[in-house]
Amino acid sequence: MKAWRWLVVLVALSLGVVLASGCGQTRPSSYKIGIFSPTTGFAAADGTSALHGAELAVKYINEQGGINGVPLELVHYDDAAKPDQAVNVAHKLVGQDKVVAAVSGSYSGATRAAASVFQEAGIPMISGYAVHPEITKTGNMIWRTGSLAVVQGRVGGALAVDKLGAKRIAILTIDNDFGTSLADAFKEYVLAKGAEIVFEEKYPLGEKEFRAILNRIKEANPDVLYASAYYNEAANIVRQAKEVGLTATIIGQEGYDSPKFLELAGDAAEGVIITTDLNRDSDREITQWYIRTYEETYGIAADMVGASTFDAVMVLAYAMRKGGTQPDQIVKALAELRDFEDAVTGPFYRFTEGREVMRPVTAQIVKNGRFRFYAEFDDPALITPPW
Amino acid sequence: MNLWNILLDTLTQGSIYFLIAVGLTMVYGILKILHIAHAAVYTVGAGVGLAVFRLTGNFWISLVAAMGVSGLVGVLIYRGVYFYMLDQPRIVPLITSVGLFLLMQDLLQKPFLMGPYQHAFPAQDVFPSVRLPWGDVPSAQVMILVLTAATLMGLYLLFTRTRLGLAWQAASMDRDMAGAVGINLNRAVALNFLLGSALAGAAGVLVGVFYNSVYATMGDVPSYKAFVVIVLGGMGSVSGTVVASFLLALAETVLLSFVGYVLPRDAIAFLVLILVLMFRPQGLLGRS
Repeated sequence: MKAWRWLVVLVALSLGVVLASGCGQTRPSSYKIGIFSPTTGFAAADGTSALHGAELAVKYINEQGGINGVPLELVHYDDAAKPDQAVNVAHKLVGQDKVVAAVSGSYSGATRAAASVFQEAGIPMISGYAVHPEITKTGNMIWRTGSLAVVQGRVGGALAVDKLGAKRIAILTIDNDFGTSLADAFKEYVLAKGAEIVFEEKYPLGEKEFRAILNRIKEANPDVLYASAYYNEAANIVRQAKEVGLTATIIGQEGYDSPKFLELAGDAAEGVIITTDLNRDSDREITQWYIRTYEETYGIAADMVGASTFDAVMVLAYAMRKGGTQPDQIVKALAELRDFEDAVTGPFYRFTEGREVMRPVTAQIVKNGRFRFYAEFDDPALITPPW
Repeated sequence: MNLWNILLDTLTQGSIYFLIAVGLTMVYGILKILHIAHAAVYTVGAGVGLAVFRLTGNFWISLVAAMGVSGLVGVLIYRGVYFYMLDQPRIVPLITSVGLFLLMQDLLQKPFLMGPYQHAFPAQDVFPSVRLPWGDVPSAQVMILVLTAATLMGLYLLFTRTRLGLAWQAASMDRDMAGAVGINLNRAVALNFLLGSALAGAAGVLVGVFYNSVYATMGDVPSYKAFVVIVLGGMGSVSGTVVASFLLALAETVLLSFVGYVLPRDAIAFLVLILVLMFRPQGLLGRS
């Protein structure tokens, strides 16, 4: 008799388990998107901007009904722009939070490290603004909506040689993934166009005192100084250059694209030209909406970092809506994306086979303490990523 | 190679290193404690200076306020922490100091204090820039050179012409004897901390203005560089600190002006430290 009772309990339990697992097939309450960005450390201003950009995107998407009725949920972790921390965080997002996909709001070093974790886990990841070439080469799950270093370096070269007509060029490079990848591409372009490199040197991240090196650059008498930096170093380079009397035009890149650069550099920033993704004077509606809304919501001017991360989330949402939320569905939808207009730094024409986005690159000049439009580069020869 | 620029940069950097390191060497001289948390006092000075500057717009008020608050914080650290460890083996206050430094830095990074961002300190034009026949001195560098010269003068007079200065010299030679001949040790040490920390606070303000950047972790590099300076100069010797500050600045500037970044600037200090410890551990002007 006892045996019968146990049998009944066993059958009931098994039925319960089967039914419960079957219940998992109904719609989830939200889709989790992971984001990692530095909200502490030297890169905190950029990481916070990236997080805000992502938050705005999630808000925008959810107000439009989310992914076919299911809202997006953002899961953020701070990586302090450190590769080892980024790896930890990536493991958390994949293993603990079980995100559907992820966005990088962080720098090249950290993104590179985290990308391998996502690739191995088979979770799609989009790099918002980290430029290093190796990131997308990690594997088929890793995509990039931000500018690729090779493209941005080339555009910098076109700016220097074609638009500004420089013949003598000085290159000052920040000694990391970001700087070296930009400088390599820039150098290749300008040398091919017959310009002369009159000075070239690398400096360590965090350096504050550039006068000695700027004096040497001044002696080399360049027309243009291509200086890669993040906003701290950029502000010091630009201010000290003015102080030592270096008159060459300074060309920067997206590392300068931050209201912090404008604040720390002050008047010395006037006339500095940068290659970046966000055109403040764009007449595209979504761009102006983003710039306005960002400043209203967060009380500080919008920058490229936030805009690029916003776009990464938008592209991800598009892929999820169109293809589905499984990794291979997302990846397929990304590959089929054409002329995506819902991007602040767009339009995104398409992704290449190497999962790099093709989009115009803008040059902005600092005028009266703000970034303004200077030039746009749309020539496929320049903006097509080489893979 | 423009020798004027090299000279100017050396003098400026050397002045900055001196202002930061002098407080460290003064504390070591009298207490034989390596006050690593000194670098956090430096940061507090920069933060207070900026906060007061934002309220008043006046550089001098900000400088005095920064020096006052830093001085107080320094005395508090002495009276509240080191005072209880004076007879312990020296590793105890050293490790405590490191922990204190990390704690203070972490606190300063909180959003209600300095946050994780860098902040501009737009007070560069307090002094006029100076045109000399062989080169210009921009106003920010004038500020550093003038204030450091004033400090050097003041310290010299203080150490050699006042009773307090003599008390410090006595206490650094032999603390117990100094107490035995009637020197009020507690008062002397507290004043030593007060002045050394106030100078660190001033250094924080000057560096914050000079690089137009104030942030919670700005004490990271000074925490070890000041240490290198005092080891190079002879720990406890103020004149040694003067010599060492300018020598280190010279080494950095010359290397970077002639050769470039074969080593990051801050690594040069470490190299110097290793060489000094290997070949002349008492420092250039220290007693063996």
